[in-house]
Amino acid sequence: MSGPVVTDLGCKFFRELPETTLKRKTIHRFIAGQDTAIQELTLAEAKAKAELGDVFATEFLLKGVFPKTSGEVLARLKKVGGAGDPLRTHRFFFLGEGSQVPPDTTGVQRNLRFLAVTGKSEGGGPDLMISTFHPDRGDLELMAWDRKRGGFNYYRTVGDTTGWIFAGNSRHAVEPKTEGNGPFQTHTSGNFIMKELKAPWINWDSPDASISPKVLPAAFRDHPWFRQRESGGALTCELEVARPSITRWTKARFEQLLPGGNGTIERPRRIMEQILGTPTVNLVSSFTEGTQVARAESVDLPATFFVDEALSNPMIGLEGPPGFAVPGKVYAQALKTFKVRWTDGGNFTRPGDTHFAFVVPERAFEDIEVLRRALKTGLIGERFAASLLMVDFPNPVYSARRAKLLDHVPAKAIVEAGKSTFGQEMAKNILAAAEASPANSPEREFAERWGAGAGWKAAFNKTLAGYYRALGRTLKAQGGFDRIFRVAESRRNRMRAETPLVESPLLFATTNVARSARASLRPDGTVV
Amino acid sequence: MPVLKSFSAPAKLRDELTPATRRAWSAKVGGMFDDFKAPRYRQFYDPTAADTPSDADVVPVLWPAFPARLRGAGSEEAIAREADRSREQQDEYCEWSVEREQGKITRITFTTEIPEYFELLAAHDQARLLAIYRQLAGPGVKIEHLLTGKQYRPKNRWNRGEEATGGLVHLTQANNTLGAAVVLAAEATILRERDGQPIGTKQELAGCAGLGHPRRNSDPQIAAIVNGAASTGASLTLQDPLGLYIHRLVTDGMSTPDGTDPQTFWKLERGSPGRAVRASFSVPKAKGYTVSEVKIAGRPIRFGAQLADRVRVRLTAIVKPGNARPRRHPCI
Repeated sequence: MSGPVVTDLGCKFFRELPETTLKRKTIHRFIAGQDTAIQELTLAEAKAKAELGDVFATEFLLKGVFPKTSGEVLARLKKVGGAGDPLRTHRFFFLGEGSQVPPDTTGVQRNLRFLAVTGKSEGGGPDLMISTFHPDRGDLELMAWDRKRGGFNYYRTVGDTTGWIFAGNSRHAVEPKTEGNGPFQTHTSGNFIMKELKAPWINWDSPDASISPKVLPAAFRDHPWFRQRESGGALTCELEVARPSITRWTKARFEQLLPGGNGTIERPRRIMEQILGTPTVNLVSSFTEGTQVARAESVDLPATFFVDEALSNPMIGLEGPPGFAVPGKVYAQALKTFKVRWTDGGNFTRPGDTHFAFVVPERAFEDIEVLRRALKTGLIGERFAASLLMVDFPNPVYSARRAKLLDHVPAKAIVEAGKSTFGQEMAKNILAAAEASPANSPEREFAERWGAGAGWKAAFNKTLAGYYRALGRTLKAQGGFDRIFRVAESRRNRMRAETPLVESPLLFATTNVARSARASLRPDGTVV
Repeated sequence: MPVLKSFSAPAKLRDELTPATRRAWSAKVGGMFDDFKAPRYRQFYDPTAADTPSDADVVPVLWPAFPARLRGAGSEEAIAREADRSREQQDEYCEWSVEREQGKITRITFTTEIPEYFELLAAHDQARLLAIYRQLAGPGVKIEHLLTGKQYRPKNRWNRGEEATGGLVHLTQANNTLGAAVVLAAEATILRERDGQPIGTKQELAGCAGLGHPRRNSDPQIAAIVNGAASTGASLTLQDPLGLYIHRLVTDGMSTPDGTDPQTFWKLERGSPGRAVRASFSVPKAKGYTVSEVKIAGRPIRFGAQLADRVRVRLTAIVKPGNARPRRHPCI
């Protein structure tokens, strides 16, 4: 049986779906872009068609068990397997963009939510993750690793119904018909999302910032999920949940593309978009609290704002950047100049920055993992990867110059025994285009980088060292940092405009910089 | 839980102590609480003097052993090198020592053993002190190496406080003492305000109350958690046996050349289950590779600091619900 034809294929569709659309105690399937309507599946059909090999399917849906809340999911998993079964161990994390708004502030939309994870798969990371605003209510989003096919299966319920929708597998995030639709509008490559992946993990309960019980509604303060939340908080989530989950799916994805390490990749552009473009981002910040910048002698700034982390990763192996910092009084003056305030647009406004200062987008770990696999499988080589990333290197995210190189991706890539001519073909395409391109084109910049030949590491290190010295000078002066601040705001505005990840006005501070203003860094440390 | 009869030896290493030394240890820890009998510390209590009810919350506080104040201060390699260079840098109640052979790392040892315990042994049981040193540092230790006159010397040739490549027996960095942790917990029960606004965040509190470097992992976090609990009217103490403990090593994202689970290379060397105070990471010789060939997120281990980032240190607070109505004090 099918429901009405669905035309809105975004993740909003699921959020706004009336719960009456779903039949109680029934599995539905709606893979946006592939299905035109919500399909009800009988158990037999679900077993045959849906190919669901994850623990949520095998322990619940395919056994005719339809939980309504995440609490019910975990309660049943407590009885799975033997005493030591990893599915019986549940870990809880807590976060919210307004979690550090002072507890006595009333009427603020804190966006507090839980992440519950359980199980431990062979490839690393948990089996099942649930994100919910309330452990004892419906409206669940659940991801579970498919032990048969690999990838995460995405499920959700709506309201208080016991009907569940299977919304796709990670692989649908990277298939032409379904990519960018449904859950894959946010999970752009089919990965688990922890956008604040690194210390100090702004918005998360963590060793760097604990969330006070006082910000919770009274009924929540004694809730077992909150009381039993992981002591290491986001630190644990980063290392034991997020990173291994992303690594696991990326590895599985490449194994599906290149079984046994060999095969033809029909759409290499999808991979190169993650290397040259900015399909998604992570967020990183200063370690200095926003309220402390005026008192701080210096405010540290995240290095990945200035240069791509992938360049200094051992897979490419260039020298890492130094620490970047700005005098506290310079940072504080910039907060005044740009009328920076942290506000939910309603009941809460505080002059100054977010809980940790200088929150900015950085290259997403999932895209770094794709680069790692592209290198490891032999799809591309180190020199080629480095030459690509060195194009417009001062702008590690949202670089139109680097994205322009996507015009030259060959239609197919063949990998055999860990080798491919794909990188050489693409380099050749770019070099050919460079000939006819204007001066300072991205193609010409690539040609210059590629031209470094065998001495590429030394040449790139020298270029980067000059850039770091120039940045050091820029960051000492008020005018210099003010321009850097504009670049940061420009990148935040790109994220606001281009991804659905900005779910709360409290994610970033508000400034007087026009939302449409764009600025980028140059290799001499100046801003254009 | 009734009133505690006495403070236990750290990590419940009671077998190391004679009955008299055990009593002396309890008295020594009790003395740390004696400094906080003033009314302003009424929310910090001595568990041997006041009861801890069964509904008290046990609150483990965890942090990485890597010194957080170095984060952002240089390239990853530079700060790892700096953290390894000297134990003076290792100020998160956990210190480590790196052993190398022909440039390759063969063992990284971590300790959270508090210096007060060794000071006590020096005063009450020098034979035991020498035996522990010989167990941890080698048979060549002589008692005169450890003492200046009758005074225990925490930084000595077998426990080199300045070098992260030298011997490692117990903590030596100035902030890494049990006494410091007790002072911190007590001071953090005092609520603070600035310009009439409550102080609550970690760095803000550390700066306002003078609780050490605001960017450290350990003290500001302990202070923020204690302070947050105190603001609800609760009373606090530290769980017996008082101490800093190595909680675990996180090996997710680590890989070995032959696929061996890197967790098998992590050995707890001293302490009781759940209360380890010494642990090491080394690869058995039969494996044919060294710690330097083990990778963390694709990077070979070149520094002890890389592993320290994955070692969790723990202090456990006890929160006794209460109805205190503390007034806020200005910043100091």
